Amino acid sequence: MAVTYPTPGGGAARGPSRRGIARIRPWLLLAPALIILGVLLLWPLVRMAMFSLQDYGLREIVSGSTNWIGFANFTEILTSRDLWAVVLPNTVGFAVLSVTGTVVFGTLVALLLQSLGPRTRGFVTGAIMAAWAMPAVTGTYVWVWIFDADHGVFNQVLTSLGIIDQPVNWFTDRWSFYAIVLLNVIHHGFPFVAVTVLAGLLGVPREIHEAAEVDGAGAFRRFFQITFPQLRQVFAVVIILSTIWDFKVFAQVYLMPGGAGSNRDVLNLGVWSYVESFGQNRYGFGSAIAVLLTLLLLVITAVYVRTILREEKNL
Amino acid sequence: MRRTKFYPIAAAATVLTLTLAACSGSGDDDSGKGKTLDVWIMKGTNPDSEPFFADVAKAFKEETGATLKVEYVEWADAHDRFVTAIAGGTTPDVAETGTTWTPEFADAGALAPIDDYVKKDNLGDDLVKGLVEAGTYDDKLYGMPWYAGVRSLVYRSDLFDKLGLKAPTTWAELQADAQAIKKADPKMLGVAVPGDAEFTVYPWVWGAGGQVATQSGGQWTSGLDSAEARKGISFWTGLATQDKLSSAGATTWKETDVLDAFANGDVGMAVMGSWTPAAITEKNPEMKGKFAAVPIPGETGGIAPSVLGGSHLSMFNTAKDKDLAWDFIKLMTTGKFAQEWADDSGYFPGQTSLLDKAVKSTDSLVAPFAKQFVDGGASVPVSPNFGAVQAKKTTSVMMQSILSGKSSVDDATTAAAQEMTSLLNGK
Repeated sequence: MAVTYPTPGGGAARGPSRRGIARIRPWLLLAPALIILGVLLLWPLVRMAMFSLQDYGLREIVSGSTNWIGFANFTEILTSRDLWAVVLPNTVGFAVLSVTGTVVFGTLVALLLQSLGPRTRGFVTGAIMAAWAMPAVTGTYVWVWIFDADHGVFNQVLTSLGIIDQPVNWFTDRWSFYAIVLLNVIHHGFPFVAVTVLAGLLGVPREIHEAAEVDGAGAFRRFFQITFPQLRQVFAVVIILSTIWDFKVFAQVYLMPGGAGSNRDVLNLGVWSYVESFGQNRYGFGSAIAVLLTLLLLVITAVYVRTILREEKNL
Repeated sequence: MRRTKFYPIAAAATVLTLTLAACSGSGDDDSGKGKTLDVWIMKGTNPDSEPFFADVAKAFKEETGATLKVEYVEWADAHDRFVTAIAGGTTPDVAETGTTWTPEFADAGALAPIDDYVKKDNLGDDLVKGLVEAGTYDDKLYGMPWYAGVRSLVYRSDLFDKLGLKAPTTWAELQADAQAIKKADPKMLGVAVPGDAEFTVYPWVWGAGGQVATQSGGQWTSGLDSAEARKGISFWTGLATQDKLSSAGATTWKETDVLDAFANGDVGMAVMGSWTPAAITEKNPEMKGKFAAVPIPGETGGIAPSVLGGSHLSMFNTAKDKDLAWDFIKLMTTGKFAQEWADDSGYFPGQTSLLDKAVKSTDSLVAPFAKQFVDGGASVPVSPNFGAVQAKKTTSVMMQSILSGKSSVDDATTAAAQEMTSLLNGK
């Protein structure tokens, strides 16, 4: 027997809108914010797009001249072997795993928090907030220290258990490298998911759960058929934000041993674009990468939002 | 990529301040009275730089009548700050520029050549050659040698005494010493072979008679895949891959990691800079008196050349009064103040006549470095594109792939040489 719950409707139809000043007023009120956004966000974006069509380096900065080269930067990016063989697989694969990991783990923690009493909940929330509040740089160094080849705790445990007989450098292999980054990013990212999902969970009426339980629905079924549909929007926000963040992971890779470019097997989009553009003063090339990344994330977000909206209509 | 967005704003802001500043410029005058000289100096080289520059400012005022304004810049942000300042035309009159940046900024057209001044003051023959080489671009001198350090072989003299070893003068001796240390204490690294420290690699290339890169007829060619270079790289990486005298962790070590491990007492020998002994004893006071240095040995003796890393004082094109800027550069890089800066900071001065004192020193942590500095100093390829080679970590990629066993010396050096050649020639 399916347990369903109607989602809230779109609200009553609006009355006929008045003309004239009433129509302009909202825009007047929005104007200051829009102007600031335009200056701080839109104009730099336009400049970035302009740079992406130029060979723009230190020499152009000094002389102030432009150096249009059409789509040469984009051609170079899209024909780069590193990009297709290493950079994109690393970036996309990592994003998929880390978004899944962060959202699943964060949701589990949120469910745990929901079932706790107020005092223990406060305590656990405080603990996970500490993980969230830790700067990415500090967190990365802690993980590096744990997996350090010569003095790290991880190798010491493996050695004392007799699993390895001499120290292994986990940072040189692509898979073990990203396993460590994954731990780091999930550890740093799950508190946001947990807290956001918890806020949503607390809004789901308890009676529905009780009714379902009486009807004999197990915990899994209650989650997927009551909680999840209720929290669709919350999950949408959490997944989109996590995807954007995990696509742009930089510090957590750059600061790892070998992550700053000396191990080409572990390059991701962030580090690769930094090394190829800023490291070499090729600002035009860097802008082209940024334009592509922006478009890519827009597409992902659009597809995701559409899917969510369509599913909602079907309900 | 995120930073791109900020350039226009930064540029706009700087252009605005420039316009305002230009309005307040004073007329031309031979004396520096009433004028101000803006100078950028890197933070941290000399722990006592503020009292030092107070003295310099006093002397400068007495000599020229002008006021000295020093701004301290962090090494880590310095490159970005230079680029932003160049973009907005707000560069200082004179700045300390790292030796590898000088050709880059000169190529961009931001620096003013100083050959005429050097000639006028007859300083040409008294400047350290490796630093002049590094500051020369298109046959013009853009960077005035100020101070530099050099890397040599640092070793644990206490262990060498205990085991009856002698400081190595050939590669075979170095290998034997490292083996003896490892045998006495298997937990130690006989010699540290770091994977992400390009300046510890080049001495072995040069020491075997190879070249990092050479220029002829405007074309650069990397020599990393030559038979000599391969011999040097094979020896250096072989200490880790075949003789197991380094450690698994060292495959991803940077120079700072080498320093930490040495200070921690884990390392018997390592290629380290002349500025590191103070840092080692600061991190671990117990190491005091337990280590010494020796010039990096060539294959069968002699000294393997090592990169001089340091700073120039460069004059920017935007300097309002170039004569005044030169007066300051000269005051800083020659005589009393050059000597004092070197003494305070633990680096060597860029004026040859000032080096004699260091060479004659009996300190086992000064004299060997000074010898390396004078007799075995070298420069990385002087090209504005060498920054790109460093950014792509061409040499470190090569080292790490050999040390982790992913590729052979032949394959790794071939790939590195190809990449370096194409980067140096600007693709």
